[in-house]
Amino acid sequence: MKSGNIPVLNVEEDTIPLAYENVIEAVWEKGVSIRTEYDRPEDPPSRDATVIIVVRHPFGQPRFHRSFADGLGGLAEYVMEVVHGAHDYWVKPVEEIMKGKESKDTRWTYTYHERLFEYRIEDKVVDQIGYLIDKLSSTGYSRRAQAITWNPKLDPPTDDPPCLQRIWGRLCEDGEGGYIYNMNTHWRSRDLFKAWFENVIALTTLMRNIAEAIAKKTGKEVRVGRYVDISDSLHIYGSYFREIEGNPEKGIKSFFEKLKSRSFEERTWDSDFIKPHFIDDGLGKGLRPMLEREKEMPQKVRKAVEEELRKMEKKDYVV
Amino acid sequence: MGIFEEIAGEIQKGNAVSVEGLTKKALSQDISAEDILNNGLVAGMHTVSEQFKNNEIFIPEVLISARAMNSGLSILNPLLEESKVESKGKVVIGTVKGDLHDIGKNIVAMLLKGAGFDVIDLGADVPKEKFIEFVKKENADIVGMSALLTTTMLYMKETMDALQDAGLRQGVKVIIGGAPVTDSYATQIQADGYAADAASAVDLSKKLLGQ
Repeated sequence: MKSGNIPVLNVEEDTIPLAYENVIEAVWEKGVSIRTEYDRPEDPPSRDATVIIVVRHPFGQPRFHRSFADGLGGLAEYVMEVVHGAHDYWVKPVEEIMKGKESKDTRWTYTYHERLFEYRIEDKVVDQIGYLIDKLSSTGYSRRAQAITWNPKLDPPTDDPPCLQRIWGRLCEDGEGGYIYNMNTHWRSRDLFKAWFENVIALTTLMRNIAEAIAKKTGKEVRVGRYVDISDSLHIYGSYFREIEGNPEKGIKSFFEKLKSRSFEERTWDSDFIKPHFIDDGLGKGLRPMLEREKEMPQKVRKAVEEELRKMEKKDYVV
Repeated sequence: MGIFEEIAGEIQKGNAVSVEGLTKKALSQDISAEDILNNGLVAGMHTVSEQFKNNEIFIPEVLISARAMNSGLSILNPLLEESKVESKGKVVIGTVKGDLHDIGKNIVAMLLKGAGFDVIDLGADVPKEKFIEFVKKENADIVGMSALLTTTMLYMKETMDALQDAGLRQGVKVIIGGAPVTDSYATQIQADGYAADAASAVDLSKKLLGQ
C-alpha cells in the first residue's frame, strides 16, 4: 500500500480459531510494510494493520488453534497469570521501573492482572475489574465500565510497555430475563502470529469470570456474549516471514500450505482435549506443576489457582 | 506394522498412554531397551523433529509428542542405566539468569532428547554458578544457553567468563540461542555456535560433537 494510510481490516467469525486464521491471512495480504522497534536490521519490515475482530461465540468449539508459540501447560500458566495474577510477584518495584533502560533488575514492569486488578495511582491501589463488576451489577447498561492498563508515568521509559490498553464491558438484556455480557478489548500493539491467540484465550476466560461475578452479585443469569478485539497495530514481525512464506527449495512449507494440508479439526483442539494438558502437560508445565514449582507465589494467588484447578478437574468445566 | 513403527507412530500422534503400553509390550517381547529407544522412541521423535523443521506441525504438537516420548523413556530409563547405554552426548541447558522465558529452551531440550542426547534441563532464571555446578557434576559435553531479552542476553557473556575462570571452558562446547541472539553475538562472546531455531540447535550439537 503506497498511500501512507494504515489499512483498517475487519474480521468477524463464530469461534476463536476461525477468526485467528482469517486475520492472519488478512494482515498478510492487506497489511502495510512498516518497521517496528523490535525488528532487527536484517529482518524485513513487519506486516501491519489496524484490525477489528469480532468473535461471536468465544467459548464455541473447537476453541483452541494449534498454532501458537507455547505448549498447552504454558498456555494454562499464562491464563493464570492474566486472570489470577500468578506472576504479579515477578513485577519489580516502582523505583526500579522508573529507572527505565538504566535498570539492571530484569523482573517485569507490569502484568495485565496487576494493572487491571491493582492499578497504582499516586498512593492508591485501584481494583478496576472490581469496579467494572460493581458498576455493571448496579447499572448494566452503563457505558462507563472499563479498566485501563497504561500508566503514563511508568510505561514510556520502558522497553516493553503493555500492549493491552483497555477493557470495556456492557450488559444487554437477553429477552429471557437474563443478560449477555459484551466485552471489548483495545490493544495498542499486538504480535498477531505469536501472541494474539494466547491473549484471547486469557481475556475471554477473564470475560467469563466477570460475567459469573456479575451473575453472582445480581442473582440474574449472565451469559458470555460476543468478544471484540481492537488493535491499533496488529502485526506479523519480519522475523516470522520465514515461517509464513516457507522455503520451497528447502522443503519448508508455508504457514498457509500447512493449514491447507489438514482439515479444520486437525488444526484445532476442543476444550475437552485441552483440559488434562492444562492441569499437567507432563513436561513440567500446567496448573499442578506451577503450584509445585512457584513456591514464592503469594498465598492468596495460590488459593485462586488451586480453586481453578479444582474447577478444571470437574467434568463440565470448559477451559 | 511392527512394534517400532507403532511406537514411532503413536509418538507422532502425541499419544502418551499408547507409547507407554507399547514400550511395555516391546519389553515383554524380549526386545532390548536400547533397541526400543533407538528404533521406536528416537525414530518417532526424529520424524517429529523433521516435520517441525519443515514447518509441517505446530509447536504445541511437538511438545505433546515429547510428552509421549517421555512416557516411554520413563519405563526404559532404569534399564538403560543398568545396561550402561551411552548417549549421543550430555547437554546442560537453561535460560540465563533474570530471564523467565523458557519455551524455546524447552523445545530445544525436547528435540535434543529425541535425538538421543542426555539432557539436563536447569530451567529458567539460571545463575552462572548453577551452570558451572552442573557442567562439573555431569561432565557435560555441551552447555546450551537461551535468552529472550536483550537485557538478559548479556548474562551469557558472564556465564562464558565463569566457565573460563572455573577452568571448564576447554572441555565443553557452548551453544546459544533466543530471539535477540545472533551469530555475531555468539562470535563476540566466543561461544562455539548459535542456533536460530530448535532444529538447528540439534544439528549444531551433533556437528560440534563430530557426529
